[in-house]
Amino acid sequence: MSTAPARALVAIPAKIGALFLAVAKQAGGLGILAAQILRRLTPSQIDRHELFRNLNRMGVRSVPIICATAAFTGGIMVIQAAPFVEQVQATSFVGWAATFTTIRELGPLLIGLIFNGRVGANNTAELGTMKVTDQIDALRALAIDPIAYLVVPRCLAMVSMMVLLCIIGDAVAIGGAMLTADALLGVDPHLFWASALERLEPWDFWVGLIKSGLFGVMIALTSCHYGLATSGGAPGVGRAVNASVVAAAAGIFIMDYLSTFVLG
Amino acid sequence: MAARTKDPSIIDAAKNVVTDARDVFRVFARTLYYLFRGKREKGEVARQMFAIGNESLFFMCITMAFIGAIITFQTGLQSRKLLPDFSLMGATYLKLLVRDLAASVGALPLATRVGAGIAAEIGSMVVTDQVDALRMCAADPIDYLVVPRFIACVVMGTVILIIGGFVAYGSGLLVANLAFDVTPSTFNNLMYLNLGDVALGFFKCLTYGAAIAVVSAQRGLATFGGSEGVGWATTEAVVGSSFAIIVLNLIISTFGYFLVPSVGPG
Repeated sequence: MSTAPARALVAIPAKIGALFLAVAKQAGGLGILAAQILRRLTPSQIDRHELFRNLNRMGVRSVPIICATAAFTGGIMVIQAAPFVEQVQATSFVGWAATFTTIRELGPLLIGLIFNGRVGANNTAELGTMKVTDQIDALRALAIDPIAYLVVPRCLAMVSMMVLLCIIGDAVAIGGAMLTADALLGVDPHLFWASALERLEPWDFWVGLIKSGLFGVMIALTSCHYGLATSGGAPGVGRAVNASVVAAAAGIFIMDYLSTFVLG
Repeated sequence: MAARTKDPSIIDAAKNVVTDARDVFRVFARTLYYLFRGKREKGEVARQMFAIGNESLFFMCITMAFIGAIITFQTGLQSRKLLPDFSLMGATYLKLLVRDLAASVGALPLATRVGAGIAAEIGSMVVTDQVDALRMCAADPIDYLVVPRFIACVVMGTVILIIGGFVAYGSGLLVANLAFDVTPSTFNNLMYLNLGDVALGFFKCLTYGAAIAVVSAQRGLATFGGSEGVGWATTEAVVGSSFAIIVLNLIISTFGYFLVPSVGPG
């Protein structure tokens, strides 16, 4: 029989171990789902109607919220930088600094987080509801592959729409930054553009696009995996949505760090 | 959200935003009223503090550590192009972190974690008629459900964002040391920091905590349509509170720019 202090001593490593096992289990589930999706892409077996429905629902309907968020973010960025700019009289650098930060980092990250909340959570809720009401088993009974019919169109839609939304969002955020710089610091929009064009490299733009694509993959895999793994009736759907949103957000940040490090 | 099934026009969307904002303010006003007038169950606030605070701590620490590392790495890359002088990197980073980033960037993952939890919990109570049962027992759901979550979210949200700020600072220090050879003593530079920055950052933390609680609770209480509705409410809570945070950030930062003088010496 172990004594109380000994049990307490074991409890902490046991908790850490359980945490790692849980993370490993989810990561494994994501990997298997990714392999299943890739297998169905060659040769492609995609339900075209479902794909277009999801492209509209996930992408087109997200444009207003993405634009609003991006415009505010661009403004905030310039307001935060304003004291430093005034201090060192670096008005000719504002354009470059704002566009560089937006394109490489802030745009993909913020749009990824909003996209995760709006589209990822919704996707998990939908797939989870289908799972707990046995609709996925019903598809199987009709000899329709649920991965090819439900998951592949959703993943394709999320990844492509995330990249496209990121381009729109970047443009709106840069517009917001330009207006704020003009109003707050008196930086002429022409000067703003000239400074951005002079120092930006094409690679900066590609880094942003690669990042947004990676975040799209992360959100797509996580939300589909958690949705399909839902159990425990209606309350289970709520739990799955919560867990999926949190896991995808953590995944986005980890992915962001790794890609910043690798892409330079 | 009424226009869920059809494509909303711009005017419909604007109307929805106005309606949602009005509902959120209504919940906020009633929460404030019951905050001073209501009678609360003993221990409920502590329970919510544990659920909102302690259980988000691990997630927030990991997230903020990565955020700190990314910001420092990105700033380093950017400043290496202009002038290869990293001596003011720590001072600048610390000022931005205190003034804005710790609160505003940290509040987004916090909204994801906490907002989704509050909306899912209250939403499933609504669709299983537990909230109506509360009303039958003459217990106001705002007093009984929302106020404890509001208090817990304001207090623990602030605490967690401050802890997250320290974590982000630590990871930034580490990355600056490893990637750009900035010694910790150079990085640890309080030169640009003043009391106004701390006050502004603290005020932001309090505001975001309140915004997350009120927006998510309103979305939760407005849930309809069974378990699918709970999923929708969760989604709208996360998006709504993230959006509220960004709008509030713009407002507070603009006031802060004019009211809190922030230029450091030099």
